[in-house]
Amino acid sequence: MARKILCVAEKPAIARAVATHLSGGSFQTHSIRGNQYVKNYEFDFNFGGPWGNCSVTMTSVIGHLTGLDFDRQYKGWMSCPPGALFEAPVQEDVDKDKLPIAENIQNQARYSKALFIWTDCDREGEHIGSEVRNQAKKGNARIEVKRAKFSNTERAHVLQAARGPVNLDEYQANAVAARIELDLRIGAAFTRLQTLQLQAVAEILKEKIISYGSCQFPTLGFVVDRYLRVKNFKPETFWGIKVMLQREGKKVNFLWKRVHLFDRVAVIMMLERCLIAKEANVVKVVQKPKSKWRPLPLTTVDLQMMGSRFLRIDSQTIMKVAEALYTKGYISYPRTETDQFDKAIDLKKLVEKQFPDNSWGQYARELIDGKFRTPRWGRNNDKAHPPIHPVAWVSPNQLNANEKKVYEFVTRRFLACCSDDAKGQGTDIEIQYGEEFFHANGLIVLERNYLDVYVYDKWESSQELPTFERGETFEPTEANIFEGKTTAPNYLTEPELIGLMDANGIGTDATMAEHIAKIKDREYVVTNKRGSGRTSVEELIPTRLGIALVEGYDNVVSGLPNSISLSKPFLRKEMELRMLEICAGTKTRQDVVQQSLDMYREVFIHTQRRIDMLKTACRKYLVDDATS
Amino acid sequence: MSTNDQILAQIQSSKGLCVSPTWLNNFLASSPNILAPVLTKTAIFRVLASDFRESLSTNPTSILPVDISNPTFRERRLQGPIPVQVLDIEDIGSSLWSQVEAIERVERGEAIRGREIVRTISVGEDQEAVENSWTQGATGNSNGTANANANANASGSGGSGPHRLILQDAAGKKAVGIEMQRIEGVTLEKLSIGAKLMLRGATVARGIILLDPGCTTLLGGRIDSLDRSWKEGRKARLLRRIDAMGDA
Repeated sequence: MARKILCVAEKPAIARAVATHLSGGSFQTHSIRGNQYVKNYEFDFNFGGPWGNCSVTMTSVIGHLTGLDFDRQYKGWMSCPPGALFEAPVQEDVDKDKLPIAENIQNQARYSKALFIWTDCDREGEHIGSEVRNQAKKGNARIEVKRAKFSNTERAHVLQAARGPVNLDEYQANAVAARIELDLRIGAAFTRLQTLQLQAVAEILKEKIISYGSCQFPTLGFVVDRYLRVKNFKPETFWGIKVMLQREGKKVNFLWKRVHLFDRVAVIMMLERCLIAKEANVVKVVQKPKSKWRPLPLTTVDLQMMGSRFLRIDSQTIMKVAEALYTKGYISYPRTETDQFDKAIDLKKLVEKQFPDNSWGQYARELIDGKFRTPRWGRNNDKAHPPIHPVAWVSPNQLNANEKKVYEFVTRRFLACCSDDAKGQGTDIEIQYGEEFFHANGLIVLERNYLDVYVYDKWESSQELPTFERGETFEPTEANIFEGKTTAPNYLTEPELIGLMDANGIGTDATMAEHIAKIKDREYVVTNKRGSGRTSVEELIPTRLGIALVEGYDNVVSGLPNSISLSKPFLRKEMELRMLEICAGTKTRQDVVQQSLDMYREVFIHTQRRIDMLKTACRKYLVDDATS
Repeated sequence: MSTNDQILAQIQSSKGLCVSPTWLNNFLASSPNILAPVLTKTAIFRVLASDFRESLSTNPTSILPVDISNPTFRERRLQGPIPVQVLDIEDIGSSLWSQVEAIERVERGEAIRGREIVRTISVGEDQEAVENSWTQGATGNSNGTANANANANASGSGGSGPHRLILQDAAGKKAVGIEMQRIEGVTLEKLSIGAKLMLRGATVARGIILLDPGCTTLLGGRIDSLDRSWKEGRKARLLRRIDAMGDA
């Protein structure tokens, strides 16, 4: 009996890429009924080991197969009090438009000995894998289920994954299931409550759905928080001392160790004591090699932050572009927290693949000819994916404009990781003048190394310093007081926001970009361009509605002991930590859902009771202020 | 030597403070149940918690010169030792506004650790206990103090200094002091109002006492009532000063 194995990937493009590699390029393509994107690819493949030579049907889903929703009687907005949604029964159903795909899996499973799941190797992929398994079991209850572990669609890697399947990680699938249920219940309850209550407050809210999400709101909270800091800022004057010496035809400016102070009288007194001393004493002359470290291997958060800073593409677009590059087999899986390259990866081979490139091919060659260095070892490892790196070279004219930028960034970053640090010679001079200390620093860049390929970093030589000797004294040419003013912080930019979300546990590297897109979409936040040309930056500014919601929720809990505003990251962070506990197997899905619901239910009750706080805030910004 | 004289001598030798006999009599009369072995210790604690204007005897060498704040003197030296108490402390290395922002973060129960916002109020913790820990700390070592400090440090209010202090001697004379070099224990969080310092051989320049570890010994203590109202009123004072700058 010919053994048949059913393989299911997360997206059609991955199914096709994997089929191409496993079949060596010759496979039959069959359309499936009811969906024009999903295809079945048929071919033979020798899996080796216990499986041996098998006939294979490779197909895919398109993301999640099923969705969770409330039972029909709870779906209407007026069907029940919003608070009932914390307990209302829910059911998981195959999405209507995914029914043909589910059917295809059931049918194919019927004739298959085993199911190999090829969904992306992350939490979400594990859950999608469990959905695929459920459908396959419907068609064939005895089907054996395995999972291919892979992080890019490069040929050798795919073959290796096919021959060493593992088991589906139930814990991770459960964590996603818990998150889906919590997002549905908490999101629906608060969305209905605030929409129904606030629609009547202002004309412009009349037709609007005011959605709530447990990640969206803290994300909005960060934007509003910064906005208010900018708005409320009060400039203040400060004073400092600057010392200048003319020597060997060069002007050396010495910087005050205290930088500046906010007390003018004190600064005048300190300067006078310098002047009384007359002579400054050189207390430290240090010549030391300085280096600027090459970057760490690339993670998703870094890609989004650096990407939006250097490439001027918003984080969501970057992720979409990176996905496309991954699906086409040019880069590794772009969702990863890992900044350590496993010792087993042949990095030199990956570098060699870049030889044909016109821009950095020569650089790659030099690395292989002796300049190659083992990359730095970061602190994070998600145990699932390597850092983002190019897996194959692609000619730029095969890519669109954004793809070109992202591929270039990923590749330059990778080559930089495999390069030596930039090296230079630094000079630190410290002087004591009266009771005060001042310093001057010089830098000469000697070897640029990684900077040659990583064009995003800047490190330049400073003006050369004249010679100083420890213990020598001199009379400064000038010593003066300078005056300055503090300036307001800038509005939040997207890279900063991603940094804040990351540090505060809002969303995962995979979802942060979506949350940011969502608050723009909901019109809680708008973007505004600061500066012009190459130095311009997109800033995030809250709308009146955005500010009103944050202020409203802050007021709801103000004065209540131990109650946390929904605009703050703390509740969501707790929830996120509990997800990790499910993944680690220390908590069950049910426990986590109950605990998290209890946490949010408490805030819900406060919100209901003090709904006037929300209404007042909306009235303040959307009715009273709207005319001003 | 009488018990009183013994205590006076012990305080003099351990802390360099010349306590007024009248004050000591009152203290002993009001605390008849304190056992002899801890009597001196308790007396010292009370002196540090007292107002120096009431508890110390004054003599011409242990008080500040009457014209100490005269800015026409470029430099002069205070022989001392001169015991003083702190009436005000200010961080002149940070802007007033950044200090207001730090206070507001504490009010919201938040602190900043790098980019991470941290919630500092732990559920069920008795804030009263933390408030009172200093008083308990006099008799036994209390964990409360450590907690309070940890919280204060985590609030990241800069605390970089240097600090500008308003000092007062036993005769009630006030003067400004500036922390020219870092002095351990002189921070907004750690130094209470009414805390006591001993000045030995300090330099005065343009009416400002230059404080550094060489001439300044931190004796500790605080005046409860002053400290409480200073803390409660701090944010309002900062805001008033910011407003005043805008008008100028």
